Amino acid sequence: MRNWIKSGEPWIWMTAGAVALSLVAVYAVVWMTAVQGLGHWWPKPLVETTVKAQDGTIQRLVGELRDSEEISLHRLRESGYQIESDDKFTRRYLFKQGNRDVYGVDFKWIPAPLLGEFTYPKGMISIERHEWGSFFGRLISVKENGNVVAEGDAAWPELLVRLERANRLFDDILRIEKNDIGKINYRLERLRLHQRKLELKDTLTKEAREEITLERQIYEDQFAKLQQRLDELREQNRRDSLTAEVQDGQLIEIPFAKIADVIQPNNMGVFRKIAHYFEKLYEFIVDDPREANTEGGIFPAIFGTVTMVLMMSVMVTPLGIMAAVYMREYAKQGPMIRIIRISVNNLAGVPSIVYGVFGLGFFVYFLGGNIDALFFPEASPAPVFGSPGILWSALTLALLTLPVVIVATEEGLSRVPRTIREGSLALGATKAETLWRTVLPIASPAMMTGLILAVARAAGEVAPLMLVGVVKLAPSLPLDGNFPFLHLEQKFMHLGFHIYDVGFQSPNVEAARPLVYATSLLLVIIIIVLNLFAIRLRNRMREKLRGLEGV
Amino acid sequence: MNSVTHQPRAIEIGNLGRAQMTHADDVAIRVENLDLHYGEVKALNNISLAIRKKQVTAFIGPSGCGKSTLLRCFNRMNDLVDTCHVDGKILLDDKNIYDRDVNVALLRRRVGMVFQKPNPFPKSIYENVAYGLRIMGINNRETIDEAVEKALRGAALWNEVKDRLDENGMSLSGGQQQRLCIARAIALEPDILLLDEPASALDPISSAKIEELLTEMRERYTIIIVTHNMQQAARVSDFTAYMYLGNLIEFGDTNEIFTNPKRKETEDYITGRFG
Repeated sequence: MRNWIKSGEPWIWMTAGAVALSLVAVYAVVWMTAVQGLGHWWPKPLVETTVKAQDGTIQRLVGELRDSEEISLHRLRESGYQIESDDKFTRRYLFKQGNRDVYGVDFKWIPAPLLGEFTYPKGMISIERHEWGSFFGRLISVKENGNVVAEGDAAWPELLVRLERANRLFDDILRIEKNDIGKINYRLERLRLHQRKLELKDTLTKEAREEITLERQIYEDQFAKLQQRLDELREQNRRDSLTAEVQDGQLIEIPFAKIADVIQPNNMGVFRKIAHYFEKLYEFIVDDPREANTEGGIFPAIFGTVTMVLMMSVMVTPLGIMAAVYMREYAKQGPMIRIIRISVNNLAGVPSIVYGVFGLGFFVYFLGGNIDALFFPEASPAPVFGSPGILWSALTLALLTLPVVIVATEEGLSRVPRTIREGSLALGATKAETLWRTVLPIASPAMMTGLILAVARAAGEVAPLMLVGVVKLAPSLPLDGNFPFLHLEQKFMHLGFHIYDVGFQSPNVEAARPLVYATSLLLVIIIIVLNLFAIRLRNRMREKLRGLEGV
Repeated sequence: MNSVTHQPRAIEIGNLGRAQMTHADDVAIRVENLDLHYGEVKALNNISLAIRKKQVTAFIGPSGCGKSTLLRCFNRMNDLVDTCHVDGKILLDDKNIYDRDVNVALLRRRVGMVFQKPNPFPKSIYENVAYGLRIMGINNRETIDEAVEKALRGAALWNEVKDRLDENGMSLSGGQQQRLCIARAIALEPDILLLDEPASALDPISSAKIEELLTEMRERYTIIIVTHNMQQAARVSDFTAYMYLGNLIEFGDTNEIFTNPKRKETEDYITGRFG
């Protein structure tokens, strides 16, 4: 044994074990978020069963079986269930019964002894609605203007045909609301600001006023026309509805305008399910969120995260590199520069929320407030840059990641061989030329390393963003078709904050849970993709420097 | 090759360094009373000598004798050392290169340098040679093409690399890399070429090639070479300076120095009794 210890083998085992543990941890993160999150869109069969209620009556229950767990009977009895059994433990099941508009709650834990037999009747429909979440029930009839057009077996094909029409109309309405009316609103607002500006400058002549009035009239006419078109479309979309029976026998009427998608999960084969799964996954990535972010997609959050991170990179890279170049190449190495270097390194240890507070106080209130006062007096009292927004978020995170870039770049600069610098200087290059042509290219992989670390940190940061620009739901993307296209002052959505919001602020915990995992997975994937891109770039740079020692 | 043309047109210099100059036209660099300190440490002590034009001058001496330091004074590479302080004069065309108004970048274009360890840039062979030209602001493709070929031919490297000018300079062998560095320096058509132990990091064959190259280049450039290899100094140089502990002990015609040294220390060093 002693010899074994002396041989140094335990040391090898320990170090290898540490590597193995780290690997397991990394895979566990991805694996768990993937398993918990990716199952969300798989169409689950609808269970029909019975429940014995507190008063002894037997009720029908239709829903998706979501979870089950072991629980002590003692605990169940304490919470008011009357269960006769000698066992100590039993199971309880989590059902999603949907129909929040009818029953108020859509998730329910029910102890196994109270449940009847599970059946999976064909023909059950599961409706994904634009409001009120899922609907589960049995299709009775399809109506047009309140008159039944199909019943029984004929109802389902009729439903599919009419649903397609309804969805098309819905998309048209959405497009007009979001794009066309959004554009007109934007122009009207600009017109209002223009007028206000002229008023403030006292240069609002009669002609100008008439011109503005004329222009406004044009927009208002356009708006009225669109509004009329919208009303028509909405009217058309109100035509069809369906009637369905819920678990306790009530008949519920649902207008097609409220339906996003309908499936018969118990009738679907594996391939249909796979197709449906990917369709929903795609919608999750490209759609806007609905229902307090517990339904729909997360595209704005993905877009906001990526845009913000890119903006941050554009800001932090030149700043960090220049600072590092000064500290390593130009500054006289002495106690002063050592103090500066230590300070910069310690900046990396400042809690991120502190950066958020600083960003709010300095960027938003001070800088933004002054910018508003100087350049946008016409918007007052509404703030333009004087409120949290994507620009301030990117700047705050740039500050937060600045030390990382500086340290990595300095490291890279210090590894550029002295002989190479001398070679360049000896050819009559000045210090600046040597830097630009030789030293910086050689240090570029190190700069990329700094940027990779910065991106990883910035993409995952949430706390400071809550103070300087992230919101639960942003009405529009920071990048759109209206001049100047990139709206730096706008608030934005962010995956990290989305996770927090859905996980902690959602009224519907059970519905939100898989989304928390799925969003986490997506955030991890985005960071990985950004990193892979940067690493590829770095490898290409390194390829050029092959043969040089220590780079 | 006029390798044996040099008659003993001796510039005899005593260790206290009063040069008995021949007419000034023959002199490329004149050093007058040069002292150099690294902080408190004196590295060069009252050096005076005259380097002859279009001749090869070798600096020999044991490690730490100041021969490299002296060499690096000629293109002011010592400026890079913060604590370095120079007194005295180094005259190039009667102009003291340590004067305040001297443009160091221009000086270094006139006085090229090749280092002990080959130090090509991590760029293509072509770009390595073109580097100095581009720094000068020359961007005309044809001019550069021409200069690159001329420099590579001058460094006896053209035939080996003409088909792979786009390859990374670092992919060459050590000897080729060193010749690339020489090509890089002569692309600027300098008057003077400083070589700091250019063959010490190379294998004997590459080393021999470099020496051969030096004998070819002596017609065109004033060459100053630092070497710890006395045979090399004897083979390639016309003049030799022996230095010891920051002092110039003896400077004169190479044949003279190696066959009939004036001073005892030089003789001891050359015969291997010391050093």
